[in-house]
Amino acid sequence: MGHQSIPILETKRLVLRGPEPQDYPNFKATFASYRSRFMGGPLNPYESWMLYAAEIGHWEIRGFGMWMIHLKDTDETVGMAGGWFPAQWPEREIAWIIWPGQGGKGYALEATDRVRMYFYDELGWDGAVSYVDPKNLEAIRLAERLGAVKDKSAGSVDGHDVCYRHPTPEQLASSQIEDGIAMEIAHYADPLFKMKGMPVD
Amino acid sequence: MTLTAAPILDTEHLRLRGPQTRDTEAVIAFLMDKDRAELFGHYDNRGDAWRWFAMNVGHWHIHGYGYFIIADKDTDQAMGLCGVWNPEGWPEPEIGWSVFDAAEGKGYAFEAAVASRAYAYDILGWSTIISLTIDGNSRSDALAKRMGCTRDGIFDHPEFGPMNIWRHQPADALQDGGMEAYS
Repeated sequence: MGHQSIPILETKRLVLRGPEPQDYPNFKATFASYRSRFMGGPLNPYESWMLYAAEIGHWEIRGFGMWMIHLKDTDETVGMAGGWFPAQWPEREIAWIIWPGQGGKGYALEATDRVRMYFYDELGWDGAVSYVDPKNLEAIRLAERLGAVKDKSAGSVDGHDVCYRHPTPEQLASSQIEDGIAMEIAHYADPLFKMKGMPVD
Repeated sequence: MTLTAAPILDTEHLRLRGPQTRDTEAVIAFLMDKDRAELFGHYDNRGDAWRWFAMNVGHWHIHGYGYFIIADKDTDQAMGLCGVWNPEGWPEPEIGWSVFDAAEGKGYAFEAAVASRAYAYDILGWSTIISLTIDGNSRSDALAKRMGCTRDGIFDHPEFGPMNIWRHQPADALQDGGMEAYS
């Protein structure tokens, strides 16, 4: 179905592929749920279908977009991650959403780390941001774990969300951020002990 | 840049083709023009209008059909939207149309709608299709009648409200309106 060939990205536990029509039901269920409250949801079925079609159109128009995150073992989808740059977005964003019930396993960290690498290494981006609702603690924590820092001087999408600026390729190369991310992902994949408490993406 | 695998349909005055990157601004301007787009689906901010444009591209990828750009045969300039539409919740696929301000009053909507119907019947291979008009859109009602449609009930959409269902004549009743309409 895909007109443009969307690259397939792999990580330790995940395979990232372009959104396909058959992946829609989980997307719809997520955007119908409270889980989507920081991404403009909950949406009715018409709105969520519109957004899903727009996700696919975004790939064609921008040449990048949001991948569907699959588990390598089972091929089931657990969320989406990638680049998002619709009209009115001040800068190119690294975005993600994890299906309800799939949080707390580090999938978002593993996927966003991989897509950032792709944008920097393959598309030559010199930076990226993530727009986060100030009440979305899980997203703020993920942005911080990715090494992003709040940029109070940057424009936001709607004046309400907060801009987190990702480290540049140079900053990533000359810091231990990636090492920390790799250690954390390794821990999720093979935990030494099971943490209790609030799940994070 | 070509964004879809849509075919090209040529009619007497028009070229129906898939949406392309260079059509973005014309479509956004139309969707944000309340007077023109109110009965089609108007947006009051650019972000939502852009998403509609992206959504139509995705519609083509999901279904294999969608809204064509009605383009000027000589200049390729976008003059309107017409095609087959079937987002989630639609009762069945419909032929929809709207022409932009500059192309108004030239019979282009009719010409494009006839070509879209022939596309649905001859290329997609369907035997029946409808058109939906928002209650009170008398001009679209008139166009549906001119195409030979008959009323087939009401579709009540949670967002757009009641819409008239117009059923087109079936494919086998339109032998003379087939391929020649866009050949």
